[in-house]
Amino acid sequence: MRETPVLEIKGIKKRFGDKEILKGVSFALNRGDIKAIIGPSGGGKSTLLHCINFLTLFDEGHVYLNGKEIDYTNKRELYAYRQKVGMIFQDFNLFDHLNALQNVQIGLVRVKKIPKAQARDRAVAELERVGLKEHMDKYPAELSGGQKQRVSIARALAMDPEVMLLDEPTSALDPELVGEVHSVIQKLAAGGMTMILVTHEIGFAGSLAKEIMFMDEGVIVEKGPPRKILYEATQARTREFCDKIIHFHRGGDESR
Amino acid sequence: MSEILFLRNEVAPAMLRGVWMSIRLIVPSAAFGLAIGILTGTLRVYGHAVLKSVANLYVTLFRGFPLLVQLYLWYFGLARFGIYFSPYTAAVLGFSLCSGAYHSEYIRGALLSIKEGQMLGAKSLGFSKTQALFSIILPQAVRRALPGCGNELIYLIKYSSLAYMVTCIELTGEAKILASLYFKYMELFLIAGAIYLVLVSIATWILNNVEDWLAVPGFEPPRT
Repeated sequence: MRETPVLEIKGIKKRFGDKEILKGVSFALNRGDIKAIIGPSGGGKSTLLHCINFLTLFDEGHVYLNGKEIDYTNKRELYAYRQKVGMIFQDFNLFDHLNALQNVQIGLVRVKKIPKAQARDRAVAELERVGLKEHMDKYPAELSGGQKQRVSIARALAMDPEVMLLDEPTSALDPELVGEVHSVIQKLAAGGMTMILVTHEIGFAGSLAKEIMFMDEGVIVEKGPPRKILYEATQARTREFCDKIIHFHRGGDESR
Repeated sequence: MSEILFLRNEVAPAMLRGVWMSIRLIVPSAAFGLAIGILTGTLRVYGHAVLKSVANLYVTLFRGFPLLVQLYLWYFGLARFGIYFSPYTAAVLGFSLCSGAYHSEYIRGALLSIKEGQMLGAKSLGFSKTQALFSIILPQAVRRALPGCGNELIYLIKYSSLAYMVTCIELTGEAKILASLYFKYMELFLIAGAIYLVLVSIATWILNNVEDWLAVPGFEPPRT
């Protein structure tokens, strides 16, 4: 018997006005799968992740968690689903008026209704896991970009997600801060977390993911193991994109 | 000598009575006004279409009608339909509703200044929209709105003087009565003005402390 995917999406379509952003996207993730999505800006990658979490409502399509279709019109079901699907944003979206500890704690208290003291212990543990225990009293305005993104990962992990959606987690960071976030994500991967990673960091995607999906103009053009997509793509569009970005990264490396 | 006696026997008791009535007008009006303003401002940004229109209509009317006209309507106008308010109630009602309309605009502006990502972040953790509003969005918006809302409270202290037009005799009313009795307009209105200045200074001091108390890094008061 086939394993039931943790997360499955079928035929997601989304249009904004005249422009069709997603033209029917489908894929499935089994437990422990890590899939990376790459592709040019405006290709629909971010919109897709937002659609999976119903932060953007799609026009057509279906989302299943552990084989059960999610009915977003049922609010209770939607809020429960979102706890199971952690989301990491490009620009962190930490709560600006709360310190790092409170950022992680508030979801536990308000959404999961866990007593404050217990939620605090959990929040401290999650911050320790991302190496920020000593910074837990700092506010977002006092943290570096890399630290902010690590807090946001701790915040998502505290909700005990079954899947994590990472939307360009390092693209807003200064280059020297990318490493610390990557190593946290690598630790998650080593722990068996199921993840979808949208990224422009091809090297990182290649080392982490079992499968890379190349997305452009609202469709998954091609998918396969990293080596195949990055170096032996069959579609001309994939090849063109990967050549450019690999060349750019190699050029960048030499100049350092 | 007679001046000192006049001050002690006539002016001081009247001013004390007046200032007490002014405070009794200002404090509840400020509280109700702020509550109405937060509620209305939130509805105008996040409310469902019908509630949004009701809130917009309220703000249009209560910012559009002169406050004095509103007070006359509450006190004299409604009496024709058998609805009688005491002068005090009419004044507090008028001040609260007018103040709320202005507060709602400061709150609305502050809400619009909070980045969409704050709501997305909350939703992604499983917050409902209402939970996100109360736990995440409003605590930030209120901090941003505080300088504007403080300004409105300062205004309120001074437009509370209109209460005497609906026969609720507060500071300005007491000064006016005494002034016309003894024909000492300059003296009495200068004294009344000075007392308002003291009230405003106290309010400013309180507001600054509230701003400091609510300040967190990233939401510091815009002062040095």
